[in-house]
Amino acid sequence: MLLLKLIYIELIKIFKRPRSYIGFITIGILIPLIMFLIDKFGFDFQQHHFLPFESAFLFQGSLVNGYLISYYLMTVLWVHFPFFIILVAGDSFAGEAAKGTFRIFLTRPVSRFQVITAKFIATYIYTAIIVAFLGFMCLGAGSIILGSGDLFVFDKGILILSQNEALLRFFIGYLLAIFVQMVVASLALFLSTLNDNSVAPIIGTYAIIIVSIILSILKIDALESIKPYLFTTYFDVFFSPFADPIPWSDIFNYLIALGKFIGLFYILSIVSFVRKDILS
Amino acid sequence: MTTIIKTHNLSKKYHHRWAVSDLNLEVLKGQIFGFLGPNGAGKSTTIKILLSLVSPTKGKYELFGNNPQYKGNSIYSRIGALVEEPDFYLYLSAWQNLKFLADITGNISKTRIDEVLDIVQLKDRKKDKVKSFSHGMRQRLGIAQAILGKPELLILDEPTSGLSPEGIKDTRELIKRLSEEENTTILLSSHRLHEIEQICSHMAILDYGKLIVQGDVSSLLHETDFFITEIIIDKPEDAMKFLLSESFLKKMTVSGEKLKIHVSSTRRPEVIKKLVEKNFKISSVIPRTSLEDYYLSLIEKRHIK
Repeated sequence: MLLLKLIYIELIKIFKRPRSYIGFITIGILIPLIMFLIDKFGFDFQQHHFLPFESAFLFQGSLVNGYLISYYLMTVLWVHFPFFIILVAGDSFAGEAAKGTFRIFLTRPVSRFQVITAKFIATYIYTAIIVAFLGFMCLGAGSIILGSGDLFVFDKGILILSQNEALLRFFIGYLLAIFVQMVVASLALFLSTLNDNSVAPIIGTYAIIIVSIILSILKIDALESIKPYLFTTYFDVFFSPFADPIPWSDIFNYLIALGKFIGLFYILSIVSFVRKDILS
Repeated sequence: MTTIIKTHNLSKKYHHRWAVSDLNLEVLKGQIFGFLGPNGAGKSTTIKILLSLVSPTKGKYELFGNNPQYKGNSIYSRIGALVEEPDFYLYLSAWQNLKFLADITGNISKTRIDEVLDIVQLKDRKKDKVKSFSHGMRQRLGIAQAILGKPELLILDEPTSGLSPEGIKDTRELIKRLSEEENTTILLSSHRLHEIEQICSHMAILDYGKLIVQGDVSSLLHETDFFITEIIIDKPEDAMKFLLSESFLKKMTVSGEKLKIHVSSTRRPEVIKKLVEKNFKISSVIPRTSLEDYYLSLIEKRHIK
């Protein structure tokens, strides 16, 4: 019961801060703008790749539709989108330490373990909401501005997904994206427990993600042995539902690997925060 | 009497400096316990340890006979605290801030939130965001959150800092009222020596993390011969010789018409009576006793050492 109250309080804290809306505002402006610009000026990719197919296949709706652009926009979930999560998660502990609010909060009959758990859960809820908002904006604004239709995916070959099937795949993809972003949130929360100002965990998390992504994508033999230990190696799991058949076994293994990272960052946060002296 | 706070060789080391060193403190139920010391003496660190904000390097402490390190944080539902300057969630209203804290503490009604806001005279500003509050208003809100759960133990670190003279007076009266009417035990850290003198029943003085003195204010101030009493008398030299031969007094000096004697306030009338009986003409008796003198002298002595 107390944990539920703490989660509720943490959610209010998150949604009362202006920084929590930066992501929503950016997505709310940028996604419709991209869709509008593509509608107005075309999609460069279309000229080179799709025109030959348009004459060879029979499609339902336009080939360059809201779903196709939404699919391509999912790549932002790698590097760009985590910034919105980090901005909130990185401030969670460090912000309170800097502002001194822990002094009134932690002198209540509440354990630090409960506070950590509440902060993690509340941040995950925020993560789920903002990822869902991205999905909603991409598919919603895309469908309104560019129209809907079959989804054309270049995977190992060419995969054409019907409109309904594409929607289902997007739904699974965004669910997996939430899980990926939860790892990002967990890392930012852990770094936040180590600092008394929120700049360090925000920059630190972002730096770790960029370095890890570089190491994950480089095709160098020497790096192969460390790749399983980099959480970014499993980041592209949200593209897996767009394969045929859906590789459920791979997805499951990826989710277990990502879950281990979430668990690791959570435990490290507990160790760090439970022992932390609240000095400010 | 029940012991509310007890520390056993409590120590805290930051890097290479001992902020608190082998502190043995005991606060009993119903006491208003003054906690004195210069900046960096270890008062706030001690308070933070007691509130589990900081973990001790060595030693242990008990609150209500339990060690919160082993017994968990449930003990803090019986404690209200104001540590240094109170910091609230600025983007929330005063009422919302208190509601958060009430929810965590448990068993606190909305009526009680209004009640404490009324006590600290912030009821008409309860819907305003804390970021619009002045320093004094935030301090008053800090006191409100400390007394929110009707605590059995109230720990106040510089509670009157930043308050107007009226606010200081109200806070002092509130502290006295809580002690008298609700038998709340109060640990009060303050730089205002006269504040401690006026409202505290007991006190401890800390310097460089070490306990210098601990006891009840009355004994420390009035039963020691630390303080000087100035007596303006017709033959001060003769009076001094008489007192040295006749009485228990050992320390006294003469300066002009003034005879300066070290005597406790409890024994002062006895000395005056002896002088009058010996036909010395006394025009005035000026007791120079204040906590400030006592405090500064103790601190000075330690620094000379």
